[in-house]
Amino acid sequence: MALLKVENVTKRFGGLVAVDNMSFEITHGEMMAIVGPNGAGKTTMFNLINGVFPADEGRMIFEDLDVTTFPAYKRAHLGIGRTFQIPRPFASATVRENIAIGGMFGAAGAEISVDRAMQLADHYIDLIGLREHRDKPAGGLTPTEKKLVEIARALAMKPKLLLMDEAMAGMNPRDIDEMVSFIKEIRDTEGIAIVSMVEHIMRAVAGLAERVIVMHQGALLVDESTQEALSDPRVIEVYLGHPPEETHA
Amino acid sequence: MRPVKEYYPMLPVFLGYGILLGIGIFVPGKWQLISQLAFYCALGQAFNLFMGMTGYVDFGYVAFLGVGTYGMAVSIFYLHDKGLGIGLIAIGLILAAVFSTLLSLAVGAVALRLRGAYFAIATIGVNEGFRFLIEGARIWNGADGIIFSRHLRKAFGREFAMALSTQWADVLVFSVAVLAAALTLIYMRNKVGYALTALREDEDAAKVMGINVTRYKITAFITSAVLAGLLGATAWALKLTYVYPEDVFEIHYTVEAIIIVLLGGAGTLLGPIVGGLIYGISKYYLSIVLPGFQLLIFAPIIIMIIVLFPEGTVGILKKRVFGTPLEKYII
Amino acid sequence: MIFEQLSGNLLQGLVLGSVYGMATMGLSLIFGVLQVVNVGHGAFIMVGSFTSLMMFQALGIPPIFAIPVALAIGMALGMLFYYGAVKPLVSPSGSGIRRLDPKAMGIGAAVFIALMVIVRALSAAFHLHFAITLFVGLIFLYGFLLYIYGGRRQEKAAELATLLVTFSLGVILEEVVKQIFTSEARGFHWDIGKLDLGITVLPYTKLIASFGSLAIAILLYLWFRKTRAGMAMRSVVEDDVGARVCGVNVDWQYALSFSLGIGLTVTSGVLLTMFIPVGINPYMGGPYTLKAFVIAVLGGLASPYGAFFGGLVFGLVENGSYTLFAQFPGLEPFAMTRFFSFVMLLVILLIRPTGLLRVK
Repeated sequence: MALLKVENVTKRFGGLVAVDNMSFEITHGEMMAIVGPNGAGKTTMFNLINGVFPADEGRMIFEDLDVTTFPAYKRAHLGIGRTFQIPRPFASATVRENIAIGGMFGAAGAEISVDRAMQLADHYIDLIGLREHRDKPAGGLTPTEKKLVEIARALAMKPKLLLMDEAMAGMNPRDIDEMVSFIKEIRDTEGIAIVSMVEHIMRAVAGLAERVIVMHQGALLVDESTQEALSDPRVIEVYLGHPPEETHA
Repeated sequence: MRPVKEYYPMLPVFLGYGILLGIGIFVPGKWQLISQLAFYCALGQAFNLFMGMTGYVDFGYVAFLGVGTYGMAVSIFYLHDKGLGIGLIAIGLILAAVFSTLLSLAVGAVALRLRGAYFAIATIGVNEGFRFLIEGARIWNGADGIIFSRHLRKAFGREFAMALSTQWADVLVFSVAVLAAALTLIYMRNKVGYALTALREDEDAAKVMGINVTRYKITAFITSAVLAGLLGATAWALKLTYVYPEDVFEIHYTVEAIIIVLLGGAGTLLGPIVGGLIYGISKYYLSIVLPGFQLLIFAPIIIMIIVLFPEGTVGILKKRVFGTPLEKYII
Repeated sequence: MIFEQLSGNLLQGLVLGSVYGMATMGLSLIFGVLQVVNVGHGAFIMVGSFTSLMMFQALGIPPIFAIPVALAIGMALGMLFYYGAVKPLVSPSGSGIRRLDPKAMGIGAAVFIALMVIVRALSAAFHLHFAITLFVGLIFLYGFLLYIYGGRRQEKAAELATLLVTFSLGVILEEVVKQIFTSEARGFHWDIGKLDLGITVLPYTKLIASFGSLAIAILLYLWFRKTRAGMAMRSVVEDDVGARVCGVNVDWQYALSFSLGIGLTVTSGVLLTMFIPVGINPYMGGPYTLKAFVIAVLGGLASPYGAFFGGLVFGLVENGSYTLFAQFPGLEPFAMTRFFSFVMLLVILLIRPTGLLRVK
């Protein structure tokens, strides 16, 4: 069975169609990216998968369960996790508490006690290498550190599907490489399907995605492997505004 | 339940209230002030449980004190001749808790779906609306209120009724304060508290993390309401032996609660105690030195705190003791 | 007979409602632009009422001419309160603690002491209570600390914070007025005849108040639609970031909107006295704050025009429900009407919090 099936999902805001009849599937453990320029509807799509708001039309099926009407917290319990482009850790809580909260209320949350969640948090703190900041309020961290806390918090939720919103935004190339191998490692060890959201297709190429979905004005443009997408004329047209000339062989 | 050492912060709480009680008993002439202070601390602790931990301001909070007062009043008024003994008081407390639970469920169903300003407006509406319902539909004698001093005397005899109305009522007020503090700490140290912190900081992120925010908001709301009900039943009903709707639904008690929580530090355990003491003592001395000017002096102070010191006294204290062994106790 | 009574009732309700509506426009304007709920709303209405009272009693000037004075007072108060208490919360320019350099501290302390000496001397000369000195001292202290700290932006807490700040400002107004005028209720008598319509009788004062409210509402509408200043303000409501990019000085718009909103509110106090010229006391504002909330929610919290129409609806309903409840001997119609208005509030918040009336 597919991890997530999105079927003919549409979302409107007033007169604007943000997501237009999109359908696609995500398989377990897959590394995928949703790509598209600003305004293509990627964030809306993420919010729909998360349950931040409900779709106007269509269905969403998570591991054969129809979650179309499920609120966000229920979807989190099933195993959908999310990080945000601008990290939103709980500022007055410590790093440890932030990550523990992910554990306490995430997929395994029902069975985990507070103490167990704290232990889990310690494990992830070591993973992201922020041991020395463990008991500091998360609000005082640098943006990169906050990003790591976001990711650790999402991981503590033990998700099956992790939505990563522009995880590379604002990072320098060396940090990006580290982040990419970190993400790959997560996928390999925890078996999570990771869906990244990126604006530019080249970032997806940087090892983040085996498969990409390119969105354009709310609709699905292509759904194919990263390599294919890179040379797909439709994709190039969207980014360059006109069909490609014969550039390279 | 968490290991015992997580509950050490109760020690300063017990210490604080113990000292207060001690001063009241052993220092002559101070009992009235002490019982006022106990009331303010209890009010602060109860209010803090909702406002401090969720960040929502319930402007209609006094309504819970009000219905709690009626709970006790109704019990004493109607059941005084049933020979229930001390059970009469127990029933009064239970009724107070039941009434405030019911009211909080009714309010919560509407108001808790709303955010920020809308929530505040809805709750102001509740407070006023309930008072006018009682007056308008002449419920429980409407605007004429209930006077039950006679009934209390009939039920317990002159002397015991007197004792109930004074010392025992105050002991109960202290108990409510300690209970409120204990519940606050229990919530803080368990999942409830973490959920509330999360939703206070960032409600949308909290939802995405798997927190059923509505459920936790309601939990905090009802708990806070019941504590208020118990407080009304003891500090108001039992002590005064009368209740009038225009007294017990007065919005200025909510304002006092807000001041106390902010002064002390919203969302902290010790904040309300500190806030209650500072506010209570200031108000007491202001009423002696500058009668009639209290509000004039307090209003700019509130603005000062909100704009310049939003984390309150204990909030600032917490930052100072961070990294020292005291940080385990000052929370 | 019943039809006449009903339509008479309706007319009275509309006339009253127009004043209610006008009184709420300021509240909605402030919320629309700044996302701030002015919980001290009633106190500002009270200031307007006192202005009208004073001008009539001390200067013999009829309330109509008090309107521009009230507007001016209101806008001045609005500016003062905005920069003093609201701006640090919604659009602070500092980023936290400033350098506490000794020179600034020294100058500040010197100014503070000098001011306190002057105030003390003045209050001794006028035999004012020590509390007044203390009050003024607190204000100076606050101003000084504000200068040093510059205010901080607190996202979630900002909503709670502005609620409490506006409430406290209202309290300050009430207490200051009380100190000057005492808390006894005052009134005046301005009778210029009535209009007999058969179905009901309307004093000309009420008519003037009603038309005045309507006129102000129309003027406001024109101002927003036709003038540059008005459009600048609207742009901030729509999209403050976008407005900034277009060169609109958003912070000045905030200040202007707040002060205009307060100005409108104070002005409505004058119109109110044309309706009810009695019972003017420092604490009269409370019930009006609550009514204003219901009206604002009725019309959509952010829309001043919605507020006006909401006021009309509210006036009708209030009048009608009073008559209705008066039919039942077991009920107190006055209290029940108030209760009913809150039921209305809660019902609307439940089903359509953005307001029943879609008016932009």
